[in-house]
Amino acid sequence: MTVLVLEDNQRLGASIEDFLVREGYICDVVDTYLRARDKLLSVDYDCVLLDIMLPDGNGLDLLKLIKQENIQSAVLIISAKEALDDKIRGLEGGADDYITKPFHLSELHARLRAIYRRKNPMATNANVVSFNEINLNTDTLQAFINGELLDITRKEFDLLMYFIVNKNRVLSKQAIATHLWGDYTDNLDNLDFVYQHVKNLRRKISQLNGTDYIDTVYGLGYRFKEAGV
Amino acid sequence: MKLINKLTYWIMGVVFLVTPFTMIISYRSIKSNINKAEITRLRDVTDKVAEQLKAGQPPHQYILDRPITVKEVATMPPVKMQTKNYSFYNAELKRDECRMDVTSYYKINNKVYAVSTYNYVTQGKQIIMGMVYALAWKIGLITLSVLISGRLVSKYILSSFKQTLKSIEQFTLGNKEKLVLPATSTAEFKELNSFLQNMTDRALKEYNAVKEFSENASHEVQTPLAVMRTKLELLSETEINAEQAQLIGDMQYSIEKLVKINRSLLLLTKLNNSEYQTTEKVKFCRIAKDMVRALEPHIEVKGIELRNHIGSNIPLQIHPVLAEILLNNLLGNAIRYNNPNGYIDIILTQHHLTIKNPGLAPEVDPASLFQRFKKSNQCEDSVGLGLSIVQQICAVNNFEVNYSYKNSEHIIRVDFNCETVPQEQTVVAGETFLTKKPAIA
Repeated sequence: MTVLVLEDNQRLGASIEDFLVREGYICDVVDTYLRARDKLLSVDYDCVLLDIMLPDGNGLDLLKLIKQENIQSAVLIISAKEALDDKIRGLEGGADDYITKPFHLSELHARLRAIYRRKNPMATNANVVSFNEINLNTDTLQAFINGELLDITRKEFDLLMYFIVNKNRVLSKQAIATHLWGDYTDNLDNLDFVYQHVKNLRRKISQLNGTDYIDTVYGLGYRFKEAGV
Repeated sequence: MKLINKLTYWIMGVVFLVTPFTMIISYRSIKSNINKAEITRLRDVTDKVAEQLKAGQPPHQYILDRPITVKEVATMPPVKMQTKNYSFYNAELKRDECRMDVTSYYKINNKVYAVSTYNYVTQGKQIIMGMVYALAWKIGLITLSVLISGRLVSKYILSSFKQTLKSIEQFTLGNKEKLVLPATSTAEFKELNSFLQNMTDRALKEYNAVKEFSENASHEVQTPLAVMRTKLELLSETEINAEQAQLIGDMQYSIEKLVKINRSLLLLTKLNNSEYQTTEKVKFCRIAKDMVRALEPHIEVKGIELRNHIGSNIPLQIHPVLAEILLNNLLGNAIRYNNPNGYIDIILTQHHLTIKNPGLAPEVDPASLFQRFKKSNQCEDSVGLGLSIVQQICAVNNFEVNYSYKNSEHIIRVDFNCETVPQEQTVVAGETFLTKKPAIA
């Protein structure tokens, strides 16, 4: 998957690049509107990460360009502006999703993957995310372990999906909480519920004799480990 | 008191105050003119008599049926004509009379004659009676015409003023629209309008500058926060030992708190700027039910019993995002500051929302709980802006929020009944922060 990252803060750009490259993405990072335009007109990207406030322009103008030139790339807007009108303008302008700074890289990744799946419904098993014996159906929101239906709640499904998309990565409780409950919950004790949800998920998976891939990283959070415990 | 009434009273006051003086002046002028005319006439008569005397004719013709007397006097007085005006009671006619006597002196053939005559003139009383009658009509007509014309004219003159008032009333900074004022030909209103125009333009400009500043500031803060967050994420992927992991974890926790404070402050700023005005009504009961459902796991984990009395069909004029934040903050507090195995009592009716839960007494003054960053320090995890946000949301929607602690229960009550001011702005409904769809890979 090829991604163009337009981010004027080079340090943040570097973080995103670092993360995405490790996830196997092919990644170009640019820091100005003009460079982004040149790249967009010469290379086909699967997805564009678009910062709205740029030193030499507005990301929304680039969005217009993408629509005008009929460029097929999916667009994920990154903005520090949480103003509702910005969000609405972005989505009305044809962006596929919107993420506000400061975001978690794991969240960014989950959003990118979700967009990619939506944009490519023709791919085989587009609606199924698999990991070893675990299969997740994104249409019916059902999870299966070795073909057996896993009885989990919506939040647990979201959690499992988040783990699998970000496998082998340390996910902080905060990142998980933000993913599950959004940015606007003032309840920092959501972290306790992350623990509860993880505990329940592990119990339910092991009830169906699934492997417990979830690893507690002391002081940090959790990791969905491919190798198993 | 209305301006037109004030002016009417003033004008009438002046009329009533000035009228007695004008009456005295008119009376005097009328009286003296009548007297002068009479004196001239009587003087003519005496002159004629004198001429006849001079011609040696006996003044029969004149004296015959007129009250004329001719007397010979010793010397010529210094004033050749004397007049006397006086009132007396005529016993024969049984009425008051006013008489004008004129005596003229003539020197004829070395003899000095005093020719006197008199006539009855209009009495002062009669003049006054006539004037009072006219005055009654005058005052009546003036009052009537001032009242009627004042109202009609004020309606016309003040119409632009009233429009101006209406425009100001509907003006909100959040609208970003310039104030449009009606054209007027009245100098004072022109001045007022131009003053208001300048003031609101400046306010808009400054408001936009402040808004831009706070947004830019948030941008400037969010980006470094994003850098820190992502770098820590990447750092946690590297080979680290337990001690380092703990350090990173603590930093992540603090960054998270910073992020939340920044978000909450931004939200408060936006609420202050009335950016979430809406004319649409939302089903508050539906949002409340959804919110309770979303928080059910939290409630269960704490072993809290939920006493749900959420009524149905409760439409409220509130932005859906604000409704969610309001409920989330209140229920979040009820969960957080609850006793182990306590309960939450939610009552939602057309008129109020009341949430009760048992808990320890607040350690600070209940009123100060609504202040920013004030919190009962039972819970360190809280940012301390939740209730400020609740209060601000209530303020912009004309709700009234009250907190009390009775019988070991925290009771928070939001009254919806306060009269809602119609708002002009509409906001796209259904945009929500809390129930955002989690990304699915």
